[in-house]
Amino acid sequence: MYTGGGQQSKRHPDKTGDTMSHYGTGYGTARTGGGATSIDRDYRGAAGYGGTSSAPVVSFQNVSKHYGSLKAVDGLSLELRAGETVALLGPNGAGKSTSLDMLLALRKPTRGKIEMFGSDPYHAVKSGRVGAMLQSGGLMPEVTVRELVTLVTRLHPRPEPVDATLKRAGVAQFADQRVDRLSGGQTQRVRFALAICGQSELIVLDEPTAAMDVETRRLFWDSMKEEVAGGRTLLFATHYLEEADQAADRILVINRGRLLADGTPAEIKARAGAKRISFRLDRVDEPFLLGLPALVNLEIRHDVVQIQSSDSDATLYAVLDAGLRPSEIEVTSLGLEQAFLAITAEDDRANGKNGETGQEETI
Amino acid sequence: MSGTLALTKAELKRLMRNRRYFIFTVAFPVVLYLLLGRQFSGQHVYGVSFGAFYMVDMAMLGAFSGALNGNAQRISQEKKDGWIRQLRLTSLPAYAYVVSKVIVSMVTTVTSVVIVLVLGRFYGNVHLAAWQWLAVAVTVWFSATIFAALAVAIGYKVAPDQVQPITFILYFGFAILGGIWYPLSGALKTVGQVTPTYQAVKIGTDIIEGVSVSIGLAIGLVVWLGIFIALATFAVRSTAETV
Repeated sequence: MYTGGGQQSKRHPDKTGDTMSHYGTGYGTARTGGGATSIDRDYRGAAGYGGTSSAPVVSFQNVSKHYGSLKAVDGLSLELRAGETVALLGPNGAGKSTSLDMLLALRKPTRGKIEMFGSDPYHAVKSGRVGAMLQSGGLMPEVTVRELVTLVTRLHPRPEPVDATLKRAGVAQFADQRVDRLSGGQTQRVRFALAICGQSELIVLDEPTAAMDVETRRLFWDSMKEEVAGGRTLLFATHYLEEADQAADRILVINRGRLLADGTPAEIKARAGAKRISFRLDRVDEPFLLGLPALVNLEIRHDVVQIQSSDSDATLYAVLDAGLRPSEIEVTSLGLEQAFLAITAEDDRANGKNGETGQEETI
Repeated sequence: MSGTLALTKAELKRLMRNRRYFIFTVAFPVVLYLLLGRQFSGQHVYGVSFGAFYMVDMAMLGAFSGALNGNAQRISQEKKDGWIRQLRLTSLPAYAYVVSKVIVSMVTTVTSVVIVLVLGRFYGNVHLAAWQWLAVAVTVWFSATIFAALAVAIGYKVAPDQVQPITFILYFGFAILGGIWYPLSGALKTVGQVTPTYQAVKIGTDIIEGVSVSIGLAIGLVVWLGIFIALATFAVRSTAETV
C-alpha cells in the first residue's frame, strides 16, 4: 500500500463534498504532515512504493507513444499497487486516453514496456483480470440493456450474476429499454455495468462521469466506492480536479504525455498552489511581493497582480499588514488548468528550461 | 468458441428486429422473381429455361447483396461507435467479431436462397433432382459468403457516411457485369465472366443443365474469395489502432 504522508487527509472527519473546505483541509494536512516533502521523491521510479513484494498491478516503464512528431505519451513510468484507487489527472490532450489505450492493448507503445499483473497487456485483458470503461467504447445497438449486459457477462471468464450487476451499476430501472434509446448518462452507466460484470481485479475507467449530471456523478462514485471496497484496484482518468480529489487515494498528474506529479490529493494541491489571489495595486513593489508567505507563483501585468498561494489567508494578510490597500481583490480556487501551469512551470524550472510560462515572472 | 457463439446469437437476435435488412435480401429478389420469372417462358439462357436461370439469378442477387450491403454498413457504424473496441476489452479472441458477422450473414443468405429456390420450384416450375437443388443452393450460398469478406474490408476501412455509395457501386457493378440484370453476351461477356456473380450463376445453371461444371469457374470463385479475404485482413490489421 501507498504510505504517503498526506493520505490521512482523505478520511479527515471535517471533509465534506464542498470543494472550498476541502482545499483547506487537504492543504493543512499536507503542510503539517510532511506530505509536501514526500512528493519530492523520485516519482519516475518505483522507489516511492517499495516495501511490497508482490508484482505491481500495472507498470509503465519509460513508455512513449509518438504519432509522427507529436509525442502523445513521452517517457511515462509509473506503478500501481493492489488496492489503490488512482486518478490519472490531466487536461484534454494530456495523453490520458492514449495511456489507457496502451494499457488495455488497444494501442502499441512506440517505445517502452507495459505490464499488467506481470504479463503483457493483451493477455491480461483476455484473461478477464481487467474490467474497463472507455470514453470511446460503444454499445451494440438494437438490443436491450439486459441483453447486452448478459452477452458481455457470458464473455467473462469469472462472471458475476447479471441481475446483481444491473443493480450495482444502477441500470436495473431501465434494463429492458433498448441500448440505442438511452440518455448520455444512462449510456455511461451501461458502460460501467460492462466494466464490472465479471470479477476483474483491476477496473480502468476513462472519464467515467463525462456525460453525467451532478447527482448522477455522486451516485456513480458512491457505487464505485463499494466496488473497490473489496480490495480491487481502480485507475481512472479525469480532468476534474474535484473528482480526483474526492475519489482517489493517489493522483498522477500528466500533461503533454509526461508524468508531472505523483502523490495524494493533498500533496498535489499543495504543490500546485491551492488558491489564486488577484488585485490591483497602485505602486507595485515586486521584491516585497516575492517575499510574501505561501507564495507559489507571481504574475504582474501593469497594476494587476496575480498570486498563486498555498495559503491564501496568510498571503493576503501579509499584504494588508504591510499597509497596502489593494483594490478589486479576488480569491479563487485554482482551476485545474492553472494548477497544471503551476506544476508545469515548476517542472520546467527543475529541468532548467524556459517553458510556456516564460513570459510570466515566476519565482 | 462459446464466446463467439454467444456473440453470434446476440447478433442474430438483433437482425430479427431489423426489417430493412430483409428487404434487399429477401423481399427484393422474391418480388422480381414473381414479376419476371414466368415472363420469358420458352426462352433459354445459359442452356436452361428462363425460369431456372432467373431462379439462380435472383437467389444470387438477394444473397450477395445481403452479405455486402448490410454487413458493410453495420461494421462501419459499429467501428465508429466503438463497439468493436468494447469487444476487444472482453476475453473474446480478436477474430470473433468478424467470424460472427460472417456466420450471421450465412444464416440470412441461406434463408434468402431457400425462399427463392422454393419459389422457383412451385412458381417457376423448375424440376430438379435432390442433389441438384442442394448443389445449386450450396453454390449460391458459398458465392454470396465471399461478399461478406468484402463487406468486412469496406466496413473497417470506410466511414459510415461513405459506405453506401461504395457498396451501391459494387452492388450494381457486380450485378450488371455479372449478368444478373440481363444475361451476358458479346463483349460484355468477355469482361463479365471474370466476376464472381457470373461464375456463381453459371455454375448454378450448369448444374441444372446437367453438364459438367467448368473448373475455371470454380477456381475463379476461390480466387475472389482469396482476394476479398486478403482485403479484409489488410483492412482489419491496418485499422487495429483506430478501432
